[in-house]
Amino acid sequence: MTDTITLPLLPIYLVDFFGSTLMIIMSAVACYYARRLLRLEPKNFLWTFFFWLTTTVMALAVSRSLWHLLRYIFILGGLNSVWRALSPYSGSVNTIAFCVAAAVVFYYHNTEKVVATVQRDAESLRQAHLKLAEAHTELHQLNLTLEERVEKRARELRLSEEKFRGFFEGSKDMIYFCDAAGRFCDINESGLRLLGIERREDLLGQPLAEFFLDRERGAQYRALLAAHGQVKDFEAEFVGREDGPLSLMITAATLTDRAGATQGYQGIAKDITHFKKMMEQLVHSEKMTSVGQLAAGVAHEINTPLGIILGYAQLLEEDFAEQTEVHETLTIIEKQAKICRRIVADLLNFSRQTLEHNKLYGDLNQCLEEVLAIVNHTLNMDHIFIHRCLAENLPKTCFDNERMRQVFVNLLTNAHHAIGSEGIIGVWSRWYEESGQIEIIIGDSGSGIPPDQLGRIFDPFYTTKGVGKGTGLGLSVSFGIIQDHNGRIEVKSPPLEPELVALDMHTTFHIFLPVIAEVPEKE
Amino acid sequence: MKKHAFLLACGYLLCWSPPAWAVQVHGDPEGYLVHQMGHLFFIAALVSLLCVLVKRPPGRGTPWRHLKISLTLFLLWNIDTTLVHWLVYRLPGEAFLFAGGSLLDDRLVLPLAGRWLFYYLGSFDHLLCVPASWFLILSLRGFCVEATGRQNQTGVQAP
Repeated sequence: MTDTITLPLLPIYLVDFFGSTLMIIMSAVACYYARRLLRLEPKNFLWTFFFWLTTTVMALAVSRSLWHLLRYIFILGGLNSVWRALSPYSGSVNTIAFCVAAAVVFYYHNTEKVVATVQRDAESLRQAHLKLAEAHTELHQLNLTLEERVEKRARELRLSEEKFRGFFEGSKDMIYFCDAAGRFCDINESGLRLLGIERREDLLGQPLAEFFLDRERGAQYRALLAAHGQVKDFEAEFVGREDGPLSLMITAATLTDRAGATQGYQGIAKDITHFKKMMEQLVHSEKMTSVGQLAAGVAHEINTPLGIILGYAQLLEEDFAEQTEVHETLTIIEKQAKICRRIVADLLNFSRQTLEHNKLYGDLNQCLEEVLAIVNHTLNMDHIFIHRCLAENLPKTCFDNERMRQVFVNLLTNAHHAIGSEGIIGVWSRWYEESGQIEIIIGDSGSGIPPDQLGRIFDPFYTTKGVGKGTGLGLSVSFGIIQDHNGRIEVKSPPLEPELVALDMHTTFHIFLPVIAEVPEKE
Repeated sequence: MKKHAFLLACGYLLCWSPPAWAVQVHGDPEGYLVHQMGHLFFIAALVSLLCVLVKRPPGRGTPWRHLKISLTLFLLWNIDTTLVHWLVYRLPGEAFLFAGGSLLDDRLVLPLAGRWLFYYLGSFDHLLCVPASWFLILSLRGFCVEATGRQNQTGVQAP
C-alpha cells in the first residue's frame, strides 16, 4: 500500500483559465508590435523573423489556450463527449504550431548567417563607398586646384630657371659644366667669348684639357679635382682667344650622385689676363723707376766731374797750338767727354730728371711728318718704303715737341736697323674719341723680336746691336719720355691687328698719349 | 471567395473524410509522441536561438535583454510542459477524481513521490509562459521605440 496525496485541481484550473486568456491577449499584442516593427522597417530581416515568430506563437497560444477555455465550457456544460472528440485536433494544431515556430527559429538561425555575411559585405561595400566618396572628393578638389598648382609650380620653376639662367648667362666670368670625362656639357656666353668660340655647339663635347696651354697644368687640374673634389683659385693659361693666351683663375668642383660617383664637373673661371698684364706693367714700371732713379743718381754724380773734365780739356786746348800732339789728345778727350755727357743726358732723359719741359699745344701728325722728312732720305737709300696712314681728325694736344721727335727718331732708327735694307716701315696715327687717346704706331717688316726679349727691350743699356752701334738707351729714353707725357708705350711682335699683319709688319710699337687741352699762358 | 471555398473544402475533408484504408493507420500513442517531438523540436530551436543571441548578439540594450529573458522562459516552459506531458501519460487513470460537473471538487490523488509533486506544480505552466510573453512584448515594444527613433533620423542604418 503506497502512500498517496490528494491535491485539488482547482488552482490548476484557475491558473490555466486566466493564463490561457492572458496568453491569447499577449500573443496578439506581441504580434501587433512585430507587425508594427515590420511596417516601420520593412527591409529589416530581424523584424520579419519576429513577425513570423510572434505569429506562430499566437497560433500556438490561441490553439492551446482557446481549447483549454473551451474545455471548461464543455465540461461545465456537460458536454464531455464533445470535448473528448475535439481534443485531438487541439493537440494536433498545437504540435504543428510548435513545429512551425521551431522551423521559423531554425530558419532564422541559418538565414542569420547569410544575412550576417551579406551585412558584412554590405558594410564593406559601404566603407568602400565612403572611401571612394572621400577619394572622389579629394580628387575633385585636386582637379579644381590642379591647374592652379601646376601653374604656381611652373611659375616658381620659371622664376628659378630665369634667375639661375640670368646668373649663368649674365656672368662676366666663364661658367662651365663638364661630364665625367671632362668634356664640355654647357658653358655660358662669357666662356664662349673668352675661348674665342662663336657657337656653343662647336665647343660642346670638346675636352676641357685641350684648352690648357700647358698640358701638364691641365693634368694637374684634373688630378687636384680627382683628389680633393674641388680646386680653388687655380691659375692656368688657356688657348683660344685671338689676342693671345688667356690667363684664367679657376674654381671648380666635382658633381657626384647620391652614391658618390662622379657625374661631372662645374666651374667658374675668371679672366685675369688683363690683371696679370697690369701687374706685369706695374712691376716693369717699378723696375724702370728704380733703374731710372739709379741712373739719375749716377748721371748726377758723373755730370759734375765730367763738366770739369770737359771744361779743363777745352781750356788746355787753347794753351796748345793746333796740329800738335797734345792738342790732338785734348781734342779726343773733349770728344769722348761730350759723348759721355750725351749719355748722361740720355740717362737723365730716361729718368725724367731733365729740368726743362717745354710742352706746347701742337699737332702730333705734324711732328711725325717732320721726323719722317728727316729720316726719309736715309731710309730711301736702303730701299725702305714708308707706309703712312695718319688720321686726319687727330686732335691737337700738349707735348714736348723736341722730346717727342726724339722718341719718333729712336723708334724709326730701331725700325731701320731691324729691317736693314729693303722693307717697309709703317706709321699710323689714330684717334680714339671714347677713351680720349691718341695712338701712334710705328712698325717695321724686320725680323721681329724674340718673345724672351720682349720684356727687356725697354731696360737701360739693353741692346741687341753690336758693340759701338748703340748704347741701349734709345728705347729706355723713349719709354721715359712717353711716361713723362702720361702715356704708355707697348710693343707687339708679331702685331695682333690683321691690318698690320697684312702689311707684313713683324714688330709694332704703340704709343698711347692722352689728349690734353691747351692751357692758356699766364701773363 | 475562392479562399473561403478552399478553406471550407479543407475543413470538410478533415472532419468528414472516410477512412482511407490504403494508408497506414496511426494509433493512439503516435499523437502523444509527435506532440512531444514538437516540444523537443521547439526546445532545440530555442536553445539554438539563445546561443546565437549570446555568441553573436545582433544588438545591445534593454530590448535585447528582454528578448533573451523571454526566450529563456519559453524554453523553461517547453521543458516543463514536455515533462508534464510525459508524466501525465504515466498517471494511473484513478488518479483523477472528477466530481462530475463541479470543478471545485475535482481532486488529484497522487502517489507520494517527487515526480508526481513535480507534475502537480508543473501543471502551473502558465506561470512560465505568461511572463515569457510579457517580456516578449516588452522587447518588441522597445524595438518599436528604437525603430521609430531611427525613422526620425534619416540615413541611419537599422541593425
